[in-house]
Amino acid sequence: MSTVHDVRPGPAAATWGEARLLAGTAAGRVDLAHHRATHGRPARLDAASTTAALARVALLGRGGAAFPVATKLGAVATGPRTHVLVNGSEGEPASLKDRTLMQLAPHLVLDGALAVAAALDTRQVTVVVQDAAAHHALRAAVAERDDAHDVRLQLRPHGFVAGEVRAVVRAASGGPALPPGRRTLPTVDGVDGRPTFASNAETFAQVALVLCLGPDRFASVGAADEPGTTLVTLVGDVHRPGVVEVPTGLPLAALVGGGPGPVLVGGYHGTWLAGPGSLTLSRPAMRAAGVPLNAGVLARLPHATCALGEVAAVARWLAAESAGQCGPCVFGLPGLAATLDGLLAGQPVLAHARQRAGLLPGRGACAHPDGAARFVATALDALGDEVERHRTHGHCGRPVRGVLPLPLPLPRPTTRPEAAR
Amino acid sequence: MRLEIDWTRCDGHGLCARLLPERIGLDEHGFPVLADGDVPADLVRPARRAVAMCPVLALRLERTPVPSH
Repeated sequence: MSTVHDVRPGPAAATWGEARLLAGTAAGRVDLAHHRATHGRPARLDAASTTAALARVALLGRGGAAFPVATKLGAVATGPRTHVLVNGSEGEPASLKDRTLMQLAPHLVLDGALAVAAALDTRQVTVVVQDAAAHHALRAAVAERDDAHDVRLQLRPHGFVAGEVRAVVRAASGGPALPPGRRTLPTVDGVDGRPTFASNAETFAQVALVLCLGPDRFASVGAADEPGTTLVTLVGDVHRPGVVEVPTGLPLAALVGGGPGPVLVGGYHGTWLAGPGSLTLSRPAMRAAGVPLNAGVLARLPHATCALGEVAAVARWLAAESAGQCGPCVFGLPGLAATLDGLLAGQPVLAHARQRAGLLPGRGACAHPDGAARFVATALDALGDEVERHRTHGHCGRPVRGVLPLPLPLPRPTTRPEAAR
Repeated sequence: MRLEIDWTRCDGHGLCARLLPERIGLDEHGFPVLADGDVPADLVRPARRAVAMCPVLALRLERTPVPSH
């Protein structure tokens, strides 16, 4: 697993339409006085009322699984043994939205976490981050508050799989940052074996907004099936790369441009499409279309880079990010990456690549092999012309420019061409 | 009932595929590939036998699971 991260937050995040999460952040981190002047205080509600408010705005988790937050909250027992876990790991290298949010608006994340903890009648709040700047901003924010003495801030090493919520739960309990081999529900068996409400950093900030604005105002913008705003990270050949807060319901084409050409939705566990089509930015609509938004990464490759080479580089990185626990992932992901390197070199191994990708889903302790297989299999469909160009010429004539960001050092291409077969 | 594998335990010994070829195959690296869906009633006995023979206790026979978060 790589430990060096070269991905830095881009320029200050942008907002299209009404700024909510990012309100007041133009000058950098929002301190407590500025935060209170901007957002006020979240309403103090008990667990049932909080759950009802979150249900009214149909809030979905912003980490990737898009699970209904009200359902999750309603499943957690209340009391002082219960834990609240803010997962700010953001192990996805193409995603910058959570670290940007925690750097710019740490009090909004803390407001959400403390409100959930109060509703659950507990004081146990843990915030786990992988980004040093986000950690710094949160630490400063905790020091400014008189209600956050019990908040535990943890800076954890980098890793894609280590950011999976059950791996974070294990690490926060003093164990290894690895997903457990058996099915566990954090709501029942979470931090230190106790009931735990765990969600992504943006989710907690959205909870704070619901409690500050009230459900009606919160739902006054955005799509009917998922009201409000959402953070996305735009990558590559887009009008404005970086983190942007947008109302839900916008056409995808408005975010990544409407022209033809492959679009990646949902990051490195995501889905390649031949173009944005008529999709709109709402998690329920995108899930129904079979294109989950995951953590909100949208990427478009410029023509100047070798698209297949970009995909192969990510596949190599995904293989290197295997936690090393499960055989099908430990052997299957490098095998798949080698097949892609074979395609890159013009070998006729397309069917083999599809077969290897097809064997990965459902065969691991976490969804890493499933996500990696989806990323590769949909790329093979969306980049069919590219694959054919490589097969006939052995190359496409364009260099790999590294448009899809990866932590350094990069895994090397396979040196054994026979491994592709 | 449904077969489940704890992939963090499985070392690819392959006994399960020998004992229950109707439901379990092996991939190119020797790791099991389960057939989709529930184990039919007439295969529950051999499935239990395969579970009992797994050298690392990676194979389980469980009730069809509830969806997780």
